[in-house]
This record gives sequence, C-alpha cells and structure tokens, in this order.
Amino acid sequence: MSGHGNELRFTRVFDAPRQLVFDCMIDPDHLTHFWGPAGTSTPREHITVDARPGGVFSTVMVNDRDGSRYPTHAIYDEVRPPELLSWTESHSGMRVTTQFVALGPDRTEVRIHQRYVPEAFLAPEAQAGFLTSLDRFAAHLGEVAPRRSGSEPDQPSSE
Amino acid sequence: MSTLTEERLDAAFAALADPTRRAIVSRLATGDATVNELAAPFAMSLPGISKHLKVLERSGLISRRRDAQFRPCHLEVEALDQTLDWITTHRRIWDERFDKLDARLRAVQSGRRHRKGVVG
Repeated sequence: MSGHGNELRFTRVFDAPRQLVFDCMIDPDHLTHFWGPAGTSTPREHITVDARPGGVFSTVMVNDRDGSRYPTHAIYDEVRPPELLSWTESHSGMRVTTQFVALGPDRTEVRIHQRYVPEAFLAPEAQAGFLTSLDRFAAHLGEVAPRRSGSEPDQPSSE
Repeated sequence: MSTLTEERLDAAFAALADPTRRAIVSRLATGDATVNELAAPFAMSLPGISKHLKVLERSGLISRRRDAQFRPCHLEVEALDQTLDWITTHRRIWDERFDKLDARLRAVQSGRRHRKGVVG
C-alpha cells in the first residue's frame, strides 16, 4: 500500500474504537476540539456537516494569535460509516479520502489520502506516483541543500 | 496561506512531474550551472536538456542569465520553496490535527469510563 497515484498519504493509529473515531470526523461537537491545527481554533458555530453525498462540510479556522480566519468549504463525495469518508474541497479541487481501519476493538488506523488534480496532471507524463515522488523529492532537497529554506536575502519577493 | 497562485502551482507541479527535471532542480539546488554541466550526468542531447530547461523556466522554478556567455541556470529558491511548502504544509496540518484528535479521543473515552464506573 505504498505510493501509487497522485496522492499524499498521512496515517495515524488511535487507541479508540473505529465507530468513535469516525463519529469524531463528522460531529461538530468533536470537530471543534481538533479540526484546526496547532495555533488555531475552530468555533463550533461555524462548522457545518451534512454527512451524505453532495452534503456540505465547511469550517472556519481562526488563528489564535491574530484572529485571522481560514474558511474551508467542501462537498462530501462518499460517506460509508464507519469505514470511509471523502470530500472535495471547493476552492482547490482537492479530494480528501479518509479510511478508518479497525486494528482491534479499541484501536483504529486512520488513513488520509489527499489528491490534488489540477489540469496539468491530466497529461499522461504527469501521472504515475507524482505527489509521492514530490514528497520524497522535498525530503531529498532538504538533505542536499539544507541552506535552501529562507536564507536567500538576494531573492526578490514574488509579489 | 501562501501567495502562490493555483496557476503557478499547477505549472510548477507539472514541471516537477518529470524525473529528469527533478534531477536538474536537485543539481541546481547545489549551485548555478550551465546547460553543458547540467547535461553531463544524463544520456541526453543538449537540445533535449534545453527543452526541459524551457519547461522549468516557464514554470518560474529556474531563471537564466541573459548577459553571461554560457547563460548559467539559477534555481529560484523561493518559487521551489513555495511549491514544496504546499506539501509540507498539508503534512503538518494533518500531524497537528491528529495530535488534537488523539487528545479528544482520550478525553471522550475517559469520560465514558467514568460514567460507567470502570476507571482503570
């Protein structure tokens, strides 16, 4: 189950029953506690979940420090409790699929597949294992040129 | 969260979809190089390499000096960083989200155990 297709994959194992983990992903009362990454919060009143194909999934992530807001909007493609959830982000066309795999009664693996499908990817040359290759490439570049990140005062900014 | 437009992201991703072009970018990450220098490790003609360089140049990932005789190629570090940031940003978001979900699951389950009176 390794990098075929244009997907980024993120996996994590949780010590919790599959149904509970699945519920967390579609229940605003749970989502408000974890949806925003570190340094952000996701107010309950701005979370919309209509968990059925064609239904809306939207949130507003608020930066804790300066209050700036990151609204997200997506449409569910597939909802198969408690094993699979997928949606497509409206602004980016990104397809996010979440699989919930029961490893035991109280142990669940969550697999996120994130697929970005811009026009360019429709070209045959751009297809196989693309994002996976890029992910590795990013790691590789970090090794060959650690100086790369942000220490280039002579680079004009590209505004 | 990034200033990179989707159009440019598309172009940069398309450019990096090719392994030869990724190798060229890798090489340029260590310093500027001429077409001849870039062609050396590949079993490819100069025109072949030039074609790849044009794609990279159009995507904004590399630039070429007009003034110098051998027109060395230069990696546009910021453009590359923004492209690769797209990936690392998403990785980070899910990492942090999963950390919080883990905490939430623990809290919910410990609440349930309390209610059932089976605290371990």
